[in-house]
Amino acid sequence: MCKRLHVGGPKRMWEPEAAAAPIAAALYITGRRGHSPGGMRKAYIREQQARGRKVVAVLPVHYPKEILTAAGVLSVELWGPPGPPRHASAGRLQTYVCAVGRNALGFLAGGHADLVDAVLFPHTCDTIQGLATLLPDLGGWSKPVLRFQHPKGDDRESARRFLRAELERFASEVGELAGAVTAEALSRAVALHAEIDRARAALLARRASLDLSDRALYALLRRGEFLWPEDHLAELRRAVARLAPAPVQRGLPLLVTGYVPEPMSLLDHLAEVGAFVAADDWAATGRRAPPRPDPLPADPFDALVEKGFAGAPCTTRGASRERRLAHLDALRERSGALGVLAHVPKFCEPELFDLPALRRHLGERGVPLLVLETELESELPAQARTRLEAFAEMVSARRARA
Amino acid sequence: MIARRIEYQAVRRAVGPLLVWLERQRSRGRVRRDAGPFGPPLESSRKLKELLSLHYLEGRYADGAVPVAWVTSGFPVEILRPLGFHAVYPENHAALCAARHALPALVEAAERQGYSQDLCSYARCDLGSVASGRTPVGRLPRPDLLCCSTNICQTVLYWYRALAERFRVPLVLVDTPFVYGEARPHDVAYVVEQLREAAAAAERVAGRRIEPEALSEATRLAREGTELWGACLAQNRAEPAPWTGFDQFAHMAPVVALRGTEECNGYYRMLLDELRDRVRQGVGGIREERVRLLWDNLPVWFELRHLATLLAERGFTFVCSTYANAWSEMGSVIDPADPWASAARAYQHVILNRDLGSKLALMKSLCRDYRVQGAVLHSDRSCKPYSIGQIDLRERLSRESGVRALILEADHGDPRAWSPEQADTRLRAFMEAFD
Amino acid sequence: MTAPAAIGVDVGSTTWKAVVIDRSGAVLASLVEPADPLVEAQTERGLVELRRRAGAPPDLPVGATGYGRKRVAAGRSLTEITCHARGAFARTRRPGVLLDIGGQDTKVIRIDARGEVMDFAMNDKCAAGTGRFLEVILARLRVPLGEVASRVAAAPRAVSVSSTCTVFAESEVVSLVAGGEPVEGIVRGLHASLARRVASLAGSVPPAEAVFLSGGVALNPAMVAALEEALGRPVSVVPDPQLVGALGAALAAAEAAAAASPRPVAPPG
Repeated sequence: MCKRLHVGGPKRMWEPEAAAAPIAAALYITGRRGHSPGGMRKAYIREQQARGRKVVAVLPVHYPKEILTAAGVLSVELWGPPGPPRHASAGRLQTYVCAVGRNALGFLAGGHADLVDAVLFPHTCDTIQGLATLLPDLGGWSKPVLRFQHPKGDDRESARRFLRAELERFASEVGELAGAVTAEALSRAVALHAEIDRARAALLARRASLDLSDRALYALLRRGEFLWPEDHLAELRRAVARLAPAPVQRGLPLLVTGYVPEPMSLLDHLAEVGAFVAADDWAATGRRAPPRPDPLPADPFDALVEKGFAGAPCTTRGASRERRLAHLDALRERSGALGVLAHVPKFCEPELFDLPALRRHLGERGVPLLVLETELESELPAQARTRLEAFAEMVSARRARA
Repeated sequence: MIARRIEYQAVRRAVGPLLVWLERQRSRGRVRRDAGPFGPPLESSRKLKELLSLHYLEGRYADGAVPVAWVTSGFPVEILRPLGFHAVYPENHAALCAARHALPALVEAAERQGYSQDLCSYARCDLGSVASGRTPVGRLPRPDLLCCSTNICQTVLYWYRALAERFRVPLVLVDTPFVYGEARPHDVAYVVEQLREAAAAAERVAGRRIEPEALSEATRLAREGTELWGACLAQNRAEPAPWTGFDQFAHMAPVVALRGTEECNGYYRMLLDELRDRVRQGVGGIREERVRLLWDNLPVWFELRHLATLLAERGFTFVCSTYANAWSEMGSVIDPADPWASAARAYQHVILNRDLGSKLALMKSLCRDYRVQGAVLHSDRSCKPYSIGQIDLRERLSRESGVRALILEADHGDPRAWSPEQADTRLRAFMEAFD
Repeated sequence: MTAPAAIGVDVGSTTWKAVVIDRSGAVLASLVEPADPLVEAQTERGLVELRRRAGAPPDLPVGATGYGRKRVAAGRSLTEITCHARGAFARTRRPGVLLDIGGQDTKVIRIDARGEVMDFAMNDKCAAGTGRFLEVILARLRVPLGEVASRVAAAPRAVSVSSTCTVFAESEVVSLVAGGEPVEGIVRGLHASLARRVASLAGSVPPAEAVFLSGGVALNPAMVAALEEALGRPVSVVPDPQLVGALGAALAAAEAAAAASPRPVAPPG
């Protein structure tokens, strides 16, 4: 039933233009100011649909993309979108609810995603869980709805069994939308995404040896939020090929932990104050580049269960703090980051709750920390930029002393 | 340890009851204050106060004497009862702090540690109380075990993780997949498995096994308790309603914190008798009942008295609430013959873990059963899971149930972002619309 | 009079401040004016006046700080966090926690034994917890700033103001007055409320650390007392509290100039 499946196959429609162009040109779609990323995305989605692919809009953060890929379904992630809400429907959620939820409600209920075939709500936090019922049950979305429920907390046998059952259920739900997902197709998709994960992990782990600005790197990584996986992999490979044998980044290396690199101008401000993201623990990027075993488990569902518990400890999955702090220590040491930026979107409960523990933990180790709360709806206010600058001044002074 | 046990038993069996007796003697001659726009005060209130004072008094001597668990309101506490745990409910404690206006100082202690003001005020209150060692109840016993269920929110998981880090004790998690319509078989299997894990952890802490008969008995008591609570609430179908929604908020403490015990059930039997008497005699919760209302979401604990008076003076009364109702819903599902699977189903199907279609249906049925003319939906900054959807629910409720509905912005605990003047104006305008 | 060595300008949201220092870091002349939205014009005018007062040459190195620092033609531009730390340390010569309560920002800066920033925190964009909170509500109560200290001293007790939101606190205060509460008690309550906010931003300050206060609010003794109460320890006001940022900027400019020029310059202080 998966006639339209081209996973790992020879057909790569996005390849020709992209292959000829340097990475900077790839930013055409999401990166540069002045272009409408939404418009570019829409054009890409239409092209994919013309190829017979179904398209699903996906809310943050974690979901088994492999199953969608195996069914030939393009996933397009909806991180808000950032900026002011696109429709008054955002007001159906109170102003004390985070903007990812409010903007997604405005976007979906305002008809901006009507070209997709379905929407997928992963149950990552109370807000997105609420949206998962608000839109279909109280109005705003009448097309099919997919849901994916993560087990919360640490790796447990019960959680593994539940995850496996939920993955199988999800596969059959996706099958109803786009045709049955066969074991072979799923195995191919699992292998493809493992390669993507490895490439993303390599770029992030060897960040200092990559001759790209943060803006360019994150535009590249975040294109994975809507590109067909093979197209994304092709771009990643070109970036991996550019990795230098020795570090080339000379700025202040920082570890950033948070939810999503938005507003993207934050990256420009970091560059302005002479810093760069040497280690990434954003839920949207760093926490979605888990190490993958080689070879992968033979059963694709086993591989997905393994991946479900392999990634960086994520607050949206209720990971334990000890694991999270240990992971951050490892990232910091490996990258040589001199300071930590905790970048939290306003009202993001999962991220906010860990801040006191993070502050205490880093304080005990003498590692500078800056907590920066930003809003998805607007650019960084001058005061926040001052804080970034002061943080950079402080970390530089320390580096100079050392 | 033995000294601690003797002390605990002495408090439980002798000192506590003695203090209660003394308090009764003291209050005997006291003239009751004028009830104002309210009906005569419930006789049971005194017993409630005694019950809770004893509970907190026992708590002060519990650690070291009996195993202590800190528990979220939606956790199936029945499994702890056969092991003799003293259960502390931080949510209940935070509500008490808020009602006694002790919360701001505690949340500020948490904020000094870096907890954001945008986080739930219950969580901040508890973490601040733990950090500062302050509480209006004297002392909370140190936990040996933390029991957390995500059926009310994911917030409790983050909150309990912070507690686990602080106290260095095991945290058991009962993660409850969200329910659309009915729980799916793999959800129930997952929850059952976690209940067994939780029970095993509790057994390790208590140093003994759960006897199946004792579990059946606790389950039976929990079922009976929630049914009794439901029966108490149902008395308000009468006109005039024998008690107010605000009274219910105060009287729900036993079904939350003492569920699965005979003390809880004995209390509600007594309350139920009193409410039935009031119905027979036509005694209302407020003196002159004109307009019957539904309340949605948690109470505004720090303003209960003020809001109740403002409404009662004009003949408005809350006769039902989705919140008080939440502890009556699971009664029919809990099955002493199958404690594990029935608890899994019961605790998965709580209002905050179900789709908004079910919540709307519930609100409509409450409007119908209790013949309400209006609804106040408390948009609670501190409880997003409960507040998401309210703007639509308000609209749907007024359209489909024909009730006037108001959204009231507040917080269940933190008065610092609350404007009483603004709220008064809104409520007055809302009430004027009924004239 | 010693020779002028550098100028520091602190362009804040409510006031414009500038100092001229000599090579030892001593302030030779200073100027404080209400902030003008036309930062460039005000700075040009102000610096002419300041140079005249200090008898300084036009080519003196200039350091700038404050939210308007980027609109000042200066050799050295640093954030107010770094400059406040330097300015305060030059005056106190002690590590500790510096609280700076300005019109728009409240900063808590932890300074180490070398006078460098160890950590800092700032209020979010809301006016709660800043000088503006007091300013708005005192204006509403018609209490002139000059009378604040004596009115607070006259209050037998603080009337509790629970709202920390400036807008809600305004209406709360109006209803407290209507309810017959004495204005003095309310003003004292407002100070306590602001002090608690600042204390909460400061987090848990280790008991051994000294606490310093700078910014315009430091000129209000009632606020100093309220902060001491909220923090449970003495709070010392940095001399010339309004000039701390400008002083830090001047010191930074002098240092940069010294590093650039072959002529040996004595370290400030």
